[in-house]
Formats: sequence, structure tokens, C-alpha cells
Amino acid sequence: MKLEDLLVFLIPLAVLEIALLAYTLRHIFTHDHYKRGSRLMWCLIVIAGMEFIGPLLYFVLGKEDDR
Amino acid sequence: MKQWNVMLRKELSEQIKTHRAFLVLILFCLVGVISPALTKLMPWMFEFMAEDLAGSGISVGDIHVDALTAWTQYFKNMQLALIAFLILYSQTLTGEFQRGTLIILLAKGLRRWTVLLSKLAAALLFWTAGCAAGFLINYAYTAYFWDNRAAEHLFFSAFCFYLLGAWLISLIFPASVFFQSVTAALIGVCAGFLASYLLGLLPAVREYVPSFLMDTPPLLTGAASSSEYLPCAAVTLGLILLNTAVSLAGFRKAAV
Amino acid sequence: MNVLEIAGLTKRFGTKTVIDHMDLSIPPHSVFGFIGQNGAGKTTTMKMITGLLKPDGGTIRVCGEKVTFGSNKTSRWIGYLPDVPEFYGYMTAAQYLALCGEITGMERENLREASGRLLELVGLADSRGCIRHFSRGMKQRLGIAQALLNGPRLLICDEPTSALDPVGRKEILDILASVKDQTTVLFSTHVLSDVERICDHAALLSGGRIAVQGTLEELKTRRNKESNRSARAEHSLRRPYEKIVAKETLQIEFQTEKDLQQFRVRYPSGEAVDRTTIRLPGDAYEDMSSILSDLAQNHVPVRKLELLEPTLEDLFLEVTAQ
Repeated sequence: MKLEDLLVFLIPLAVLEIALLAYTLRHIFTHDHYKRGSRLMWCLIVIAGMEFIGPLLYFVLGKEDDR
Repeated sequence: MKQWNVMLRKELSEQIKTHRAFLVLILFCLVGVISPALTKLMPWMFEFMAEDLAGSGISVGDIHVDALTAWTQYFKNMQLALIAFLILYSQTLTGEFQRGTLIILLAKGLRRWTVLLSKLAAALLFWTAGCAAGFLINYAYTAYFWDNRAAEHLFFSAFCFYLLGAWLISLIFPASVFFQSVTAALIGVCAGFLASYLLGLLPAVREYVPSFLMDTPPLLTGAASSSEYLPCAAVTLGLILLNTAVSLAGFRKAAV
Repeated sequence: MNVLEIAGLTKRFGTKTVIDHMDLSIPPHSVFGFIGQNGAGKTTTMKMITGLLKPDGGTIRVCGEKVTFGSNKTSRWIGYLPDVPEFYGYMTAAQYLALCGEITGMERENLREASGRLLELVGLADSRGCIRHFSRGMKQRLGIAQALLNGPRLLICDEPTSALDPVGRKEILDILASVKDQTTVLFSTHVLSDVERICDHAALLSGGRIAVQGTLEELKTRRNKESNRSARAEHSLRRPYEKIVAKETLQIEFQTEKDLQQFRVRYPSGEAVDRTTIRLPGDAYEDMSSILSDLAQNHVPVRKLELLEPTLEDLFLEVTAQ
């Protein structure tokens, strides 16, 4: 596969990842309480696992219920 | 009618504020990008494995991929997206029951049907938007790399899958109304699908059950014509209406 | 015309009859205390009045109009605060009131004015944050604001003060007392001091029926008459833990323990409440002059001498013990 073909996929994926990362970080910083864990922990998880895994973990395990 | 507008607006803004809208959009965009990417990687992966396989005496010929392969891959991934979507929306009504958020509004004279229909409409709206986003992205990619003419009945296949999803979404509501728990809602959806799948094993009714709509490959290759799927689509549409009617009737009498 | 008329109301859950041919009427502009133990059926009754629950028998009329389950005809007269009001956590208080107002079909101008006024009344005018961050007390106050939004004739509050700290409790009671001119308040509680604080009418729910009902004065005097009849017959054996106040009693607080003991020699019927306080059963009015002259003759200084009124608690205990 040519590099240019690869870029066609990588760029949109990167855009999606960064959008999700920004969205998740914004959520983390606008909330003081999480179901478990601390702000620092979630920031690290979300950034380290930014290939969709980190944000997914946060929204499933970390986000407090909307009460 | 005013209450209906108010509740629909409430549901839509709730999707955004509870982050569901964003997650759904990301999910379907991901499917749209990943499916052609996987297709594109397929020959390369086979090449990679071929060396190993050649050692064990199996020879792999050149793998040919085209738009048809990409679309088959797309519909496979969409099944996963549909499952994720159903999980995300399974608590749309039961969440309100469990937390008791409807009590105040119903005591104010809110008509019950507006609650149910606005939720159904919001879920279907986001399902539509997600399907459209995934379809458009995948379409653009396949058009760029290959030729979309290789796959037949593209729009109709997408419509069939869309209708199947809509049916499963509509199943959430009767299950929610009668059992009032998230687990029950999900079990209800699974049971509905399982029933349809098992019925589909009988040759006599095979072409009339909703799960038949998932059988898109013959449509894509052109082995089947769209008219063969129309009775099934009509049955599914009828079932969606039936689900809605049953849940409306049940919700009228439900204790909140 | 009474704001609320309940006749023969019955509700069963399975084989258990929770409400058994209940009759109740509430006059306009009263603050009506609905007393009962936990599980007596207060919430069930209130849900039937609001049309959220289907009664098994009997009729409920609000402002003369019959309540039917699943219909919203009578809801315009009623404001309802559930026992644990739940809101959408992502909304602000003002947004929630806007949602409520739009559902009831209020005019936009009218809604904005009422919403501002009510948030001011319940002390939430300065809250900008989402309801998610609200404390229990703030949610309870928002609950009152939403219940008053459409200017109801009947405000129904289900245990509005339970699970609140004393400050929160006082705030809620003050708000309820302050809306008396605009509406009729029906609120349920198992805390009798709340009733004595703000109510003018009360009803006691026991065994699925209204055991006693009337103005607060009526209830207290009724208690007097009844206890006169039965005070001697039922001995304190049945309720040994109670320092029962049969009727108006004289209570004297002495300066020293010695004074009390000397006084007890002369009045052996007195029951010591603590080291320096004594209660005298019998007819307080008749005994008063003789006791006063006794104290004067013996030069006994007293810290306090008071007539204890019978409390609702006694009434409550008596009715629920039967």
C-alpha cells in the first residue's frame, strides 16, 4: 500500500481521535467528581489510550451519572 | 401538539448534553473510515501471512479487493455499531422510570404518548443521522479507491439495514414499558432478534422475517433483486408500528 | 367549596388494602397536615389525587372536578412535589422551570415572570449551575418552585421536610407557610412538630382510614376529652416509656433538688421528670391555687411554673397504638 493511500485513512482517523480526545478532556475538566478515579488519572488514561480506548473507558467507567 | 414539540426539543437537547449524540456520531464515522481501511489492508495482510502459510504448504493467490468487498465489510461493521447503538439507547425510557424524573412532568398534565413518541423519534433521528454519516463516508472512500458500480443496490441495501435497526430500536420501548428495567429492555431486543432469526430458519417464512433484511450480500452482488426484499421490508415496517402501538397502550396504564 | 373532596377512596396492592374507604375534605386556604407513619399510605393517596395511580374505588374531586387516572383535566389545579423530587441533572433550575411551564402551556411572558418570582421565593435566583450539583435541600426548594409554577389551587407536598437538616427544614416550612394566601397546602409528614409549626388543619391516617381530622385546636381538645375518659382505665403499663401528658398539666421547675424532694413529701402524686422538675397529674386548674399558696407559705423559690398543653404526639401515639 502506498503512503498516500495510508494517509487518506490516517488523517480522518486522527481528526476523529483528536475530536474525541478534546471532547473527553473538556468533560473531565468541567466535572469535579467521577464514578471512580481522579482527574489526573483520567487525563493520563485518556491521553495514553487516545486511540478511542481511553475516552471509551472514561465514558463507561469514569463519567458520573447525570443526576 | 405543543407538548410534543416541547418534549421532542427536550429529548434532542438531552442527547447533546448527555454526550450521546457525540458518541453516536464518532461511532458511525469510525465505521465509515475503518471499513474501507480494513478492505484496503486485506491484500497486504494476506501477503504477510502468505509467507507463513507457504511454509506449511498452503499457497495463497493474489487477493483481489474492490468496492464490493468494501461494502460487505461495511455492513459487517455496521452490525457492531448497531449493537453499540442499542446499548446506548436501551435506557432512554427505563432511566426515567428508575430515577422518577417523569413523575413531576406527568403530574403537570404531560400526555404520556408525547414522552414515548419523542423518545422514539429522537432515537430514530440519531440512528438515521449515524447511518447517513457512515454511508456517506464509506461511499466517498470506495469511490476514491475503486468503482462503486461494482456493488449493486447500494442504497437499497443500506435502507434494508437501516430498517432492521429501526425495528430493533422500536423493540426497546415495549420491553421498557412492561418490565421497566434496562436489562429487560436489552433482553427484549435480543429475544426479538433471536425469534426473528429462528423463524428465519424455516424456509416458508424465511423471506418475511426482519432478520432477512440483514442478508445484504446477495443484493450487493446482484444475485438477488430488490423486489425480493420488499415483502420483508413491509413486514418490518408493520412490526415497528405494532411495537409502537403496544408500548403506547402499555404506557397509558403503567404506574410511574 | 372544598378544594379537595375524597369519598370512599380505596386502593389495594395485591391482597393488601393500603387505603380503605378513606374520606377527607380540605377547605380552601388552609395548611393541611397529613400525618401518618411510614408506610401508612400517604404517598399512595397523594399519587391518586394527582392521577398518577389508579384507585380501586371511591372518588376524588379537586375544585369540584373529578380526578380520573391518566387524564390531565385536573392537573391544572394541582401542584405536586414528590417525596424525592428528581430532575434532569443537566438542566439549570431556570431551564427546568421553563420546561415545566411549556408543558402546562404557559405564555412566554407569564412564564418568565413566574419563574423569576418563584426562584426568588425559594432562594434559588442566584444558582447558575446544573441541578446535578444541587444539594438535597436545593432540590426540595426547586420542587416547590415547580409545583407553584402554574398557580395551583392545591399544593401537594409529599414529606417535604424528611431527610433535611434543621436549617433546610425550617426554610421549607417557612416557604409553605408563606404561600398560604395564594393556595391551599396539603403536606404529608410523620414529624409532628412540623404540623404544629405551620398547619391549621390536620388529619391522621391510620390503618388506611382517617382516624381523626379537624383544626389543630379541635384535635387537641378532642384529645383532652378522650383522655379524661380513658386515662384511668388504661394504665401506663401499656406504654411504660411515655411520660404521658393526659391533659393540661402543671410542671414546676425548682432551683434545687432539695426543694423538689421537700415538695414531693407534701405532694406525693408528683412525677419527677428530672432532678429539679416535677409534673403534677390531676386537674391543673383546681390544683394551681393550692400549690401556689403552698409554695408561698414555705418560701420555695421556683425557676419556672408552666401549664403543659397536650401535644399532637400524644394523640398520634394513642391513635396508632389502637
